[in-house]
Amino acid sequence: MSILTAEQKQIQAQATAFVAKEIIPFAEKFDKAGEFHPYLLDAARESRIFAMAVPMAFGGLEYSALTQAVVLEAWGYGCAGMATTLAASVLSMDSVLVAGTEAQKKQFFDPMVRGEIGSFGLTEPSAGSDAGNGKSTAVRVGDEYVINGSKCWITNGGYSSVFVIYALTDPAAGMKGISAFIVEKGTPGFTIGTVDHKLGIRSSNTVELLFKDVHIPAANLLGKEGEGMKIAMKTLDMARPAIASLSLGLAQRALDECVKHMQKLYPEKAQPGQTLQFKLADMRIEIEAARQLLYHAMNLRDAGLPYSAESAMTKTFSSDVAMKITTQAVQLMGAYGYTSVLAKLMRDAKIMQIYEGTNQIQRLVISRAVLAPARPAVAVQKGGN
Amino acid sequence: MSILLTEEQQLIGQSARDFAKEYLEPMVLEMDRTGQYPAAVVKQLAAQDFLGLFLAGEYGGAEAGYVSLVEVVENLSRVSAAVASIMVNHALAAYAIQRWGSPEQKKTCLPKLAAGEVLGAFAVFEHGPTPGVGAGALMATKLPEGWALKGTKAFVRNAGVAGAYVVLACTDPAAGAKSLAAFIVNAKASGLTVGAPYETMGLKGCPMADLVFDNVMVTDTAILGGSTDGSAIMTETLALASVAEAAQTVGIGQAAVEHAAAYAKTRIQFGRPIASLQAIQTLLAEVAADCHLARLGLRYAAQLMDDGEPFLVEAAMVKQFLARFGAKMLIDTVQVEGGFGYSETMPLPRLFRDIAGTTLLEAPADYPEKTIAAALLA
Amino acid sequence: MPKLLVCYKWVLNEQDIKIRPEDLSLDTSRAKGKISDFDRNAIEEASLIVEQQGGTVDALSYGTPAVKQSVKDALSRGPNRLLWIGDPQAEDADALVIANVLAAAIRKAGPYDLILCGEGSSDMFYQQTPARLAALLGLPCVTFVAKMTLEGDVLKATRKLGDCTEQVSVTGPAVVSVLSEINKPRIPSLKQVLGAAKKPSEEIAIGSLGLAADELQPRAVRKSAKGFLMNRKNIIFKESDAAANVAKLVASLAAEGLA
Repeated sequence: MSILTAEQKQIQAQATAFVAKEIIPFAEKFDKAGEFHPYLLDAARESRIFAMAVPMAFGGLEYSALTQAVVLEAWGYGCAGMATTLAASVLSMDSVLVAGTEAQKKQFFDPMVRGEIGSFGLTEPSAGSDAGNGKSTAVRVGDEYVINGSKCWITNGGYSSVFVIYALTDPAAGMKGISAFIVEKGTPGFTIGTVDHKLGIRSSNTVELLFKDVHIPAANLLGKEGEGMKIAMKTLDMARPAIASLSLGLAQRALDECVKHMQKLYPEKAQPGQTLQFKLADMRIEIEAARQLLYHAMNLRDAGLPYSAESAMTKTFSSDVAMKITTQAVQLMGAYGYTSVLAKLMRDAKIMQIYEGTNQIQRLVISRAVLAPARPAVAVQKGGN
Repeated sequence: MSILLTEEQQLIGQSARDFAKEYLEPMVLEMDRTGQYPAAVVKQLAAQDFLGLFLAGEYGGAEAGYVSLVEVVENLSRVSAAVASIMVNHALAAYAIQRWGSPEQKKTCLPKLAAGEVLGAFAVFEHGPTPGVGAGALMATKLPEGWALKGTKAFVRNAGVAGAYVVLACTDPAAGAKSLAAFIVNAKASGLTVGAPYETMGLKGCPMADLVFDNVMVTDTAILGGSTDGSAIMTETLALASVAEAAQTVGIGQAAVEHAAAYAKTRIQFGRPIASLQAIQTLLAEVAADCHLARLGLRYAAQLMDDGEPFLVEAAMVKQFLARFGAKMLIDTVQVEGGFGYSETMPLPRLFRDIAGTTLLEAPADYPEKTIAAALLA
Repeated sequence: MPKLLVCYKWVLNEQDIKIRPEDLSLDTSRAKGKISDFDRNAIEEASLIVEQQGGTVDALSYGTPAVKQSVKDALSRGPNRLLWIGDPQAEDADALVIANVLAAAIRKAGPYDLILCGEGSSDMFYQQTPARLAALLGLPCVTFVAKMTLEGDVLKATRKLGDCTEQVSVTGPAVVSVLSEINKPRIPSLKQVLGAAKKPSEEIAIGSLGLAADELQPRAVRKSAKGFLMNRKNIIFKESDAAANVAKLVASLAAEGLA
């Protein structure tokens, strides 16, 4: 069980207030337009919330995992698209936290402290769930690397100042030949391709990245050549709970909107019958279970304990819960649900089951943990008492 | 009685498939983008006899029955559930008038509905949870010259493009539901305005708006069947809606599972088509099974209608089944297509948005459970 | 008021046929039947003529007993009456036998002012039936018809040949075969589908046509039918220089005699 500290509660209150003022009033407008608007970065600049995961030594807020989760839940409550903007930026800097040198950390974190954002560039058309199947290359030439290839579905791409890009330094080695690099916006040859128009999280910018003979300093290599996938997997482990947090906020919003509507329909003495009451109760149970699983995973991480399986479980459970609850909320509210913000919540929920590792990939991770042979805790003695 | 299709029903299904291919495929994306009502396509529906599908021959109908209705609705929905929605909501008005109308009412209204000269709409729901109760409810006040209708009907499909509305209004607040009468109202009636069109999640092209009645005068002859107790009209017509909307859900689900299966065969990850992965196979198998069972359930209810048997419970069952498993068909097929399935350049996002509109539970949202339980526990 | 006859064939829907990769043999187990594509155009053309100027259309089909499945389908598309011959031996019939059977049925049911066929069937595509019928019936034959009118007993047709069109005029009964571009068959309305059951249809026993055994004996025997799979060569030209890639592609095509 996790009780938030006074400080965490204060941060939660700040995030909730920010969301109410700067996100909720604009969310539907940008969802309809289907585009990211940088007003969000201006509004958030002073709070340095985009640097919430940056260590204080670099000017960031260095929030614990649980605190970050609380913030993301508040943002997810307001708008899953805008929350994705924040979560994806944190995802990108997690790679640098995992494998960056002090100089690299400064290079990457400075823009975030200034209120700018980053992107995590792993996915390619041939590399979705098969994340190690990317074809982009990075060839060492003197004291530079030259990158060629493309990435797709990259969140924030059109607005990020800094990127972590994964490319093959040794194509013959397949997955083991992938390396991770910091690439800065505006590097010659690095351009933004098509913008994807999506079913949901439409206020989040999702684009194609194009690399044509992009020269970057060799010093931009994160870790060693060939460590790319290791870095990516560690990063995703850290970042997955962010999606759980987002989903949790989204699910809570759907329940709250549903309850608000129900209370309007059945004021005072009149009550919806048991069938409907119990559906609301089930939603509440699932949200609470999702919250506790998320908080537990975050406590493990903050305590420095292994949390890989819990990370996968919370991402899977929260996103499945969000999909279920938003769907049911639309249904229970009939045509009102179909024509209101509830419809947006249902569209937004669907991606939670897909991105940052589909829930099928998560289940692979979890089932391997479940089926792994257990190590005997104590040697068994034959005979005797 | 068989739930297998007769030769004619199979041919009718084929006609609907061919119609969808020829007339719906070319316009479906644009209509989803703009939300514009497809007047030309509705004329073509009329030319195929789809708008008078179950109406009697003496009124110009095709007398094709309700199994044919769901066959057509499902096949049209595989391409455009929005166009099917226009047809379904028109059918509700036509059904009510044919079933309960006086000979005069039928002669006046049905030929025009069958020919598609007049589009129909059926307005039951209001912003409050119970039609006829509360502020804004549609009330009918008896006057010497007829009735004055005042109040609002909410979220009416085909509102603004229909020529005739069948609306339920409360004639006696003290008597509650038993006093809900069904009135046939001409769209041009003085005092009747159509509210601003709603922005719907999907099924775009089928208009949805409130109908605002400001002392709309109708004569006594406007009461459907002459009785102020329209509760049977409401219950039974909504049961037909359950069956017809279920056909929409199944049509959308079928299109989605076929698209996702074809995609899975060509999408290579981990060196093989994802169709070879059990995870993908399970998702597709569940959707296909749910779709198949729902189809049988709704066809059964439609067959009961063709046989003149009671069908309210069976209609509620299929409604309830799809409330649980309908949206799942698109949740799971989009999952199969992953990131591509979330992009509006692919077909599934539109199907996702459409299917949610076919499984809505209007207030009271527990009516399927109530209907089924009442029959079980009688 | 013209008395028209249209011949049609009930064939397997080629979209349902799967090719077995092991030996390229055809798996027709899932294939449903349909009216052969160009025959639909013939039926539509006959229906249009009669809608405009009155008259009647008889539809005629010869095939295996599965032809019975086509009766309501064909009648829903305009014909007033349907005659059909279902004979298991039809499976092996060649163009000679088909024409003999159809001609015998036409002699019994006719005479007709105009006989319409599709240019060829969507399964065998012999393109022989119209000409053979005309010869057997002693009638003129007009093939590759893209447009036609019937005024009284004068048929005016536009034939579409490889690189030109030909205007033809025929007086008196004739056999025509039509191309798919002659019209766009309308989708049968519900009333047309439901009305089909009320129209007369008659099964003609093959034995009642008075054909001799040798007239029913196919001379051309089909030994096997195999599918055609396109195998990609999977050659990728991936030089860094686009011009070099183009040069290599051209050289490769030239080596195969294609450029």
